[in-house]
Amino acid sequence: MRHQGGLIQRVIQTIRGSRGILAGLMVAAGLFALPSFGLAADAAPAVATEYRDIPGIGSRNIVWVIAQLHLLLAGFVLGVPIFAWLCEVVGWKSGEKRYDKLAKEFTKLLTSSYATTALFGGILLFLLIAFYPKLMNYLTDIFFPSFIFYCILFLLETATLYLYWYGWDAMQDGGKKTFHIFLGFLLNLFAFFIMIVPNSWATFQASPVVIAEGTDLQRAWAATWNPTWWPVNIHRLIANVVLGGYICGAYAGIRYLAARNAEERDHYDWMGYVGNFIGVFGLLPLPFAGYWLMREIYQYNQQMGITLMGGFLSWLFILQAMLIGVLFLGSNYYFWLGITHRIPGSEGQYKKPIMAMLVILLLCLGVWMTPHSLVASLEEARKMGGTHHPLLGVFGVMSAKMTVANLMILVTFMSFIMYWRAGKQETATWAKVARAVMGAVLVIAALAVIVLGVWGYFVPAIIRINYFSTSQVLIVLFVMLTITPLTALLLKSARTTTEMVWGRMPPRAGYALVLNAVMVILLMTLMGYARSSSRVHWHIYGVMRDSSQYAFSPALGYAAAFMALNTFLFCMLVAFIFWVATMGDKGKAGYGGGAKGELPHGMPAMAGGSQSLSKLKG
Amino acid sequence: MSEVVKLQLIGLSVVGVGIVILLFVRAQFARVTGFVAIVLGLFSLVALSVPQMASLPPAEEKFDIATVKTPTDMAAIGQKIFFSKGQCALCHSIGPSESARCPDLKGIGAKLSREFIFESLTQPQAYIYLDYRHEGLPKEYPARMPYINKNPIGLTKNEILSVIAFLQQMSGEPISVNPSELEVPGQTPAAPVKAGDSVPVAVAQAR
Repeated sequence: MRHQGGLIQRVIQTIRGSRGILAGLMVAAGLFALPSFGLAADAAPAVATEYRDIPGIGSRNIVWVIAQLHLLLAGFVLGVPIFAWLCEVVGWKSGEKRYDKLAKEFTKLLTSSYATTALFGGILLFLLIAFYPKLMNYLTDIFFPSFIFYCILFLLETATLYLYWYGWDAMQDGGKKTFHIFLGFLLNLFAFFIMIVPNSWATFQASPVVIAEGTDLQRAWAATWNPTWWPVNIHRLIANVVLGGYICGAYAGIRYLAARNAEERDHYDWMGYVGNFIGVFGLLPLPFAGYWLMREIYQYNQQMGITLMGGFLSWLFILQAMLIGVLFLGSNYYFWLGITHRIPGSEGQYKKPIMAMLVILLLCLGVWMTPHSLVASLEEARKMGGTHHPLLGVFGVMSAKMTVANLMILVTFMSFIMYWRAGKQETATWAKVARAVMGAVLVIAALAVIVLGVWGYFVPAIIRINYFSTSQVLIVLFVMLTITPLTALLLKSARTTTEMVWGRMPPRAGYALVLNAVMVILLMTLMGYARSSSRVHWHIYGVMRDSSQYAFSPALGYAAAFMALNTFLFCMLVAFIFWVATMGDKGKAGYGGGAKGELPHGMPAMAGGSQSLSKLKG
Repeated sequence: MSEVVKLQLIGLSVVGVGIVILLFVRAQFARVTGFVAIVLGLFSLVALSVPQMASLPPAEEKFDIATVKTPTDMAAIGQKIFFSKGQCALCHSIGPSESARCPDLKGIGAKLSREFIFESLTQPQAYIYLDYRHEGLPKEYPARMPYINKNPIGLTKNEILSVIAFLQQMSGEPISVNPSELEVPGQTPAAPVKAGDSVPVAVAQAR
């Protein structure tokens, strides 16, 4: 059975399944937009239209912006519930109410951000149907069953979100709280499926599996379970945690910079710490997921892998190295500022290790950013004997880059452990042994990573990729999985020697948090371009060729302008969502008031209401 | 003014606006916006400083059989296909290269027969390297070479013959492919289809 017709009807049904108001908005947007698409549509009525365009602006540019914003918003609305749920669980387990309040504050954002994401999704869908009817018809034909599943997921997610958010105050104690935690888990579970279903559509375009035989369901399932589906699922899941954490950090950073009293400074300083912590928590395993994805791409189609890593996109990975490097530096810098400013008297104690880590990070970043082939004039290339620099050329290959990436992860992990242990003295009898073991594990692991990296130059690529690089990744994972629980055990019985003092961070800490968030968003836009461009002139790689005037992939400079624009627009959208979500709190604080030190019911102190609260107190 | 220069000017302006905001505006949100503008502007400028390469779809070499008179004509077309639609140069080099990932093809036309080259291009898994240096069944090393006559590359038989002519020519060998072997459209089975125009085909890409 084929589904060649009735696409629009099916789409409208799809949208109707999620939200009435949104569907209305999207239908309206689509109806407003449709006449303009017709301007550039093919005139001959007998031939099916393959493409439409808006002259001057370009259909691809419009889709690029809307799709990227939708994807970033989707990452945000999937990352925030993970972040909020983690905070709620920590608050529930530790009994610290501030974590619960933080979780609630971020869950509050979900209602408005969810609607915004769905709105952009709807606009994107209409644009795709209008601009790429042939492609959309083909995808609908294959993925129709998953469209229905997607609608059901949206219904479940929406219902769970309503219960989770509106039931927050009512489900605070005993078994009700446990149920609320379970609701949070369900929310994330449905969100995960909401993420992986469209991932199958996107990954199918890059690594299609098409079967001619079988039922609709069998064909959809075969197409869904394509070679890059799970690597992208895992990569995006972790990336969403990172995005959620760093956006929380950036929000806290901005509020910290604008804080008007000590209470606000304390609070937003702490919020920034939590956001950065969760961001780094996700950032550490993220490169491994990226490595897995690239490996699967190479396994699937070597040409695609080469196009990405060694072809016209190779310089993109130098930009990626720069962004990741700045992100690592920014995260570490924030840790270091925390150690030196929040823990009085620790400046001298940690100065040397911080300097050492900074030097290692900068050296690693330098190696990671060394290109495989240098930009050189003919004369320069002749002098060098090629486009490889005689000395620096050795750093331009994968063996070097994998080594320094792993070392940077190790250094960041060390920063994190150092911050965790700062201001505490271990009292366990086995503390000395544990410290020695941890030190030895770190040193041996770092040496092993370097040895494997150097050895990698002297073995065939297949050995290096299959065994050496994988071993490097496993070594670093082993370090994290041994030292983290060991440190947690050590600190369980540790004595606090110096209390952490919140609200003393310099303003540059706030800017560091904002920088980290911008880096993560830019990275997402950059890799979105890479993923899309790796298909080169194919809508569906090897199956459906792009025969439009936009079948080319633009150069990096042009693409970067769009990445910057999309990043800026997304930042403004998020700022708007935060502003809208906290507007009600300001109103409540203004009207309701309340006794000094007492929060109006349901109004957490950390965001939005704080300023009004301080005015009340004042 | 080139597009790169225009974008550089825009990038510089964005950075400039950001700096002005940081210098003269006191409102924190505006200052943070200025800071973000500086970061994004710098990012764009760095991206514009690396080599600007666009990826164009491969040009369809017009294969007008009537104009192909000699094997040398075929080799000339084959050379173009080698570096464009065929994407051979993405992995292979002609002569030693630091960046080649697959065998150097210099002299390959002299080493291998045209039949073997044709089979290597269209049935790359016909001969698989087997490793017997251990107990049990031999370990297989499937070729990384894609099926050149199938999508995403999808060279026609005429195009493959032309590439073979080019490989033989650049190896200094007499070209054994003859224009009379070229298939005239309409008289022979259709060349590999453009899959985009077709309904779903059997497994198009699978590991």
